[in-house]
Amino acid sequence: MEGFLPLQWAVFWWIIALPCLVFGILQLKRVLAADREALPLLGVTGGFIFILSSLKLPSVTGSCSHPTGTGLSSVCFGPWITSVICAIVLLFQSLFLAHGGLSVLGANIVSMGIVGPLAGWGIYRALRDTGVNIYFTVFLACALADFCTYIVTSLELALAYPAEVGGFGSSFVMFMGIFAITQIPLAIVEGIVLALVFKYIVQLKPEILVRLKVFPEEKIRAAAGDS
Amino acid sequence: MYEELLEDIAQQNGLREVNTYTKLAAGLGAILLCLLSTSFVAPLFIAVVLTLTLFIMARIDPGTYGKIFVAPVLFALLGVSVIILLAGGEGAFWSWRPLPWLSLSITRESINQGLFVFFRVLGGMSALIFIALTTPMTDLFVVMRRARFPEEVLDLAMIIYRTIFVIMAQLVLVYQAQLMRLGYSSFRESVRSCATLCGSVFIASWEAGEDLIRAMEARCYEGKFAVLGEGRPIGLPSAMAVLSFLVVSAAIVVTTRQITLI
Repeated sequence: MEGFLPLQWAVFWWIIALPCLVFGILQLKRVLAADREALPLLGVTGGFIFILSSLKLPSVTGSCSHPTGTGLSSVCFGPWITSVICAIVLLFQSLFLAHGGLSVLGANIVSMGIVGPLAGWGIYRALRDTGVNIYFTVFLACALADFCTYIVTSLELALAYPAEVGGFGSSFVMFMGIFAITQIPLAIVEGIVLALVFKYIVQLKPEILVRLKVFPEEKIRAAAGDS
Repeated sequence: MYEELLEDIAQQNGLREVNTYTKLAAGLGAILLCLLSTSFVAPLFIAVVLTLTLFIMARIDPGTYGKIFVAPVLFALLGVSVIILLAGGEGAFWSWRPLPWLSLSITRESINQGLFVFFRVLGGMSALIFIALTTPMTDLFVVMRRARFPEEVLDLAMIIYRTIFVIMAQLVLVYQAQLMRLGYSSFRESVRSCATLCGSVFIASWEAGEDLIRAMEARCYEGKFAVLGEGRPIGLPSAMAVLSFLVVSAAIVVTTRQITLI
């Protein structure tokens, strides 16, 4: 929300977001140089994140709850490229739908584009080479990416507006508590939906997942075979 | 979801032909001034001026504008109430301490702070909506290219921009078909329908994207979209108007530093 964060915090989150974006852009250059075919997929992923994250539910915190859709992109392209996609999507959101804003873009990139995808990617990397079902892995990655986004958003709000009694801590708990009501069910539903989307891709276009080395080939073949 | 994106309105607003930099200077300058301001007066002034400009000069329908503004105002009100309850201060009108580490109170200071944040959001949002409604994304791409944004990012941004419209069209189509076949009659059914909706639209728009790239490659595309930037000269009247708006706003920011609402 434009104007919700004071200037110093808006600048602070921009400073954190920028190096990550630069790193993401470098990675993006590498991926595109190696394989231009990835561009449409990146575009569709971005479009999807845009659509999913414009389904807003009001929440009592001056920010609002919505699915983020970043988990799937993070699994396919890694967290840094996802952060670049997210930055573009968040810019479009503020200019197309008046969601978010330009001064708070930095903070939004950190929560939705960097920490969320990193968390999702972390759990995906941890489970990728184990025997865990690939759909379950995707579910966990997406749900976690969504949920961590909101933990960071609460953190951003609490840092900017600490409570007088209990300071940052109680403010954080309060914002978090309010978000949790809408966000825990939402994260689970998002995880389920994106895992089903992933299943759809595995059935129809398994070759792209093999090429992006999302999962070991035999695992994808097995999943495509039994579904 | 909005059936009509702000982009569609921006493509035909009254200020469409004004130089992009002039409009961006007004919008971005207003956002910065709102953030620099320490009282509610300047953001309120900015909100009023930009809103009137949109109504009168850009010929935006007030009803549409109101609809766009409702959501941010509601979110801001909710957020501000949390700030009012938590900020604390001297001489509480009301206070309640349900837990040792949590104290809710309403004080003069907290109300002032809350209202200040509320007006800052109003000012900031009106500046943002001003940019959104007067400057189509296609014009911003030109600015971004001149500002030497990395080519890959711009390419990706344009592909995403294009894909959003493809996805929207297909989403509406498939969603209505599902709705007619009672695809959203129960929660279980909704989750399933939603997943097939997302999955099929994902694949379909991906293929549309691949077709687009292939079609462009056939026309010598090698990773750089051509953007037609029409050079609209900076008009003197509009530049002066923006300059005086920013100067007056800045003066208000400086002179009203100490003013609080109650």
